Amino acid sequence: MEQYQNSGKSYGIIAQAFHWLVAALVLVQLGLGVYAASLPVGLARLQWLSRHKSLGLAILAVVLLRIAWRATNRPPPLPDLIPGWQRAAAVATHWLLYLLLVLAPLAGWLYASAAGLSVNWFGLIQVPDLITKDPDLAEVFKQLHRVLVALLALLIVGHVGAALRHAFWLRDGVAHRMLPWKPRKTK
Amino acid sequence: MRPRACILALAIASSPAAAGECYVVGAAGGNVSFEVQQAGAPFRGAFRRFGGEVCLAQDRVARIDAWIDPASVDTGLPELDAALKEREFFETGRYPRIKFTAKSAEARGERQFARGTLEIKGRRRDMEVAFSLRRDGGRPVVSGSLTLNRLDYAIGTGEWSDTRWLGAEVKVVFSAKLTAVTIPATPADRGASSPVLPK
Repeated sequence: MEQYQNSGKSYGIIAQAFHWLVAALVLVQLGLGVYAASLPVGLARLQWLSRHKSLGLAILAVVLLRIAWRATNRPPPLPDLIPGWQRAAAVATHWLLYLLLVLAPLAGWLYASAAGLSVNWFGLIQVPDLITKDPDLAEVFKQLHRVLVALLALLIVGHVGAALRHAFWLRDGVAHRMLPWKPRKTK
Repeated sequence: MRPRACILALAIASSPAAAGECYVVGAAGGNVSFEVQQAGAPFRGAFRRFGGEVCLAQDRVARIDAWIDPASVDTGLPELDAALKEREFFETGRYPRIKFTAKSAEARGERQFARGTLEIKGRRRDMEVAFSLRRDGGRPVVSGSLTLNRLDYAIGTGEWSDTRWLGAEVKVVFSAKLTAVTIPATPADRGASSPVLPK
């Protein structure tokens, strides 16, 4: 029986739900953003960019909730066998991931605000602008958004790579802390 | 009624101001901006080149001939500005001028309402424009607004006629300083020498 809170051995249901929800939303979001940015000026671009912006704000909200949950729930410790440099890398990667998951949507929101393309969240809620319209700043935030997303994508690749290594090569149970089932065999 | 009208006519004829206190509308110090809903959120832009001529009689508008150059549209997004000059929107190559003409205005309180004709992209519609007139250091400043349905003027055709993504209603807000010009009283002279209106 899985616990809601994190245990000494595994992430709880809530932390796992946050993790996989954010993972799925971010993957969809990356696809949406890249696709929308590739479109010429037209109705399709407006539609896909609007969805991208709405989803980005949703991700930002979920990530903030997730960070709040993380702050009150210590993650299960890594096994003692993990070398120090890998522990350091894991800690740095996780905090950078959280940081970018906040900063990338924020930069996008700033970009939309500065471009004068305010967001109406999925056609339901008028979202306030963070700053007033400024075409020069819009260009700055556009580039910042791209750089942050590129960094995020790189970190995700590293994160997934490390998780797969733990799951299939090392089989040390580290990756399974974030899965609702346990490995059949551990080293 | 009749005698009063005669007296009024005499008064107008004998007053030099009433014969044609005309002004040029300059883009400097003024603005013409618009707002439309994109994906449910307000989006604003402006036209940088506009002008025209306004004639007043006793601080009431006697004539308006105003124009806007749609190619001067400025949304702050260069890609979008380029798209707005194309066929689906203003088609500026074929229709280089947005025009508004009115022959009189009706005063209601502080505000005046000019009933005239708005022409965009070759489509003409009757339009009432609300505005007010104030003096700024002796120079009249006219400011006001109007609301139009972009579909009446074929602005945003094809896929852009979907008003869920691009609202039908466009609110236009303007203000402009007026510069006095001397215009000869007789129509013949005016036609020959008026430097004011680019047609």
